[in-house]
Amino acid sequence: MLGGLDSFFDSSGFIPHGVCLLWKPEVLALHVGADVLIGLSYYSIPIALLYFVLKRRDVAFSWVFWLFALFILACGTTHFFSVWTLWNADYALEGVVKGVTAVVSLLTAVALWLLMPKALALPSQTQLTAANQALHREIEIRRQAEQRYAGFFNNLVEGLFVVTVLPDGHFAFDTLNPAHSAATGLDPDCIRGRLVRDAVPHETAEAVIERYEACVAAGGPIDYEETLDLPIGKRTWHTVLVPVRDDTGRIVQILGSARDVTERKRLQEELVQTSKLATLGTLAAGMAHEMSQPLNIIRIWAESALSRLRDGEADMARLDKVLSIVADQTERMGKIIDHMRTFSRRDGSSTQLFNPADSVRAAVELVSNQFALENIVVTMDIADELLVTRGRPLQLEQVIVNLLSNAHDAIAEQRAATGGPRDGRIEVCMRCDPGQNSAVILLTDDGGGIDPDILPRIFDPFFTTKEVGKGSGLGLSIGYGIIDAMNGRIEAINIDHGDGRRGVRFIITLPVSRPSAQEMERAHA
Amino acid sequence: MPDTLHILVAEDEPLAAMALEDFLTGKGFRVTLAQDGLEALERHRDDPADLVITDLRMPRMDGRALIRALRAQDASLPLLVMTGFLALEPGQDDLTADVWKPLEILRKPISPQVILETLARLMKPGGAAA
Repeated sequence: MLGGLDSFFDSSGFIPHGVCLLWKPEVLALHVGADVLIGLSYYSIPIALLYFVLKRRDVAFSWVFWLFALFILACGTTHFFSVWTLWNADYALEGVVKGVTAVVSLLTAVALWLLMPKALALPSQTQLTAANQALHREIEIRRQAEQRYAGFFNNLVEGLFVVTVLPDGHFAFDTLNPAHSAATGLDPDCIRGRLVRDAVPHETAEAVIERYEACVAAGGPIDYEETLDLPIGKRTWHTVLVPVRDDTGRIVQILGSARDVTERKRLQEELVQTSKLATLGTLAAGMAHEMSQPLNIIRIWAESALSRLRDGEADMARLDKVLSIVADQTERMGKIIDHMRTFSRRDGSSTQLFNPADSVRAAVELVSNQFALENIVVTMDIADELLVTRGRPLQLEQVIVNLLSNAHDAIAEQRAATGGPRDGRIEVCMRCDPGQNSAVILLTDDGGGIDPDILPRIFDPFFTTKEVGKGSGLGLSIGYGIIDAMNGRIEAINIDHGDGRRGVRFIITLPVSRPSAQEMERAHA
Repeated sequence: MPDTLHILVAEDEPLAAMALEDFLTGKGFRVTLAQDGLEALERHRDDPADLVITDLRMPRMDGRALIRALRAQDASLPLLVMTGFLALEPGQDDLTADVWKPLEILRKPISPQVILETLARLMKPGGAAA
């Protein structure tokens, strides 16, 4: 075997390659010079390639660079061997070197073609630059957005806060904005990550944790009003909590916003009070009339009886009759005064469950006698069902009286405009939906209707069509506020009665429920 | 003042009408009652009164319409108006104007004694116009 190898590499039978060049020095010099230069160049290329690969560890397909280095190194070696074989006829050894070079070249060529699709898929420098620029733009947009949201978060007067819902169900503060910080006295840096029950006083913690738990239980936004005793005084907040879920659907965060509504509530109450006074004003004339009637009856009967008594004409039967009349009339006056009281007194701050039909009846009774004197008939059609709604009964009564008073004014105005004495009609009707979830109060007049152009504005505060001094323009807007606070709805539409009469229908929709026995007792109390 | 003076009372409150009837008949007047303006006009047509006492607010036909109708028929018929209203509303006839005389206005509640005095003033020839 070794003998075989020896004979393979035995070069004694060959003649050096220089013989072919006839040892002509200039040809020899050209070959040697060219091959040496090519060899040296080839040898330097792998060094550059390897230097590049070693410096740029992130370069894709680095093994190809190694393969290239090897391939070029082999090519360089063949050139150096060409110089060697000019004088030494080691053609077998040269063949081995060429063979190795061939294998490496083939590998490189195949690898290159196999790699081509992947290499083409690599982003070009232009593409990378474009992508880079796009990324920068994106970053800039996001930075601006973040700045904007941070601006919201930091500058909103509404208090904002984020609460983390821990896996064990406990709540921890995440952050809160400066407005909320100022209002509550909590420092965002001090409370971040702390359990709610540790970060705020026990009583407050209990109250807010109950709300957070309610939000998690509801699985959706909840909103409520709460009055908290803070160092700056008792403040009322309207708070909204929104749960945030992770990919698995678990509620991991609660976003909260809290608005200080103390001033608004006070103002609202004042407006209600103002509107009461305005309603009271329009009713004052009617009230004076109502009061003067029984007083008149009492006075005439009493003085007449007194006169007979002094003349010695009085008998027991007459005195009995006169005193009974007097007693009846004082009772009548007492009822009028009771109604007046409902308007002058504040309604108390808490809501209660009550039957809306009672308020409607009371309102109609309050005005129907007075209206009848002006030939305005108020009819009442109320379904006999006991359902309750939450709110303040006297406020609802005030809304109905205000609507009745408006209807009265519209009829009177139309009567004055058309000249003739004409009967007016106001229908008050109350019905429940079949599911008994809502009650609808319909109040329809025949006072000519409302100009469609102004119909959408009638619930705006201070909007009035009455002449200066006759209406504050607050009645309907306050009514709207009251019904809204009861989670109800009030709207107005024009109605054509079909017999030449036209008018307005106010539709009040209120949420109702069937009362429990206990609630029934309370509603009646 | 003749005791047989016939007074027509237009008043929609039955107890107030009865009180006046009781008092005035006790004082020797003859009294006819009407519940509203229209009925008062009918009664007056059937049995003319010497004097008419009327309320202002009444159903069907109110006191103002009644006064207009009566004044149109008889310029000298004495009229006594009883009202519970404090203020005159815009657009209404001002009943204190001379054109309505002889006419007196009394504000409720009214003392029977004042009614008597006013009646006397109205029935005195030329008294109400003074």
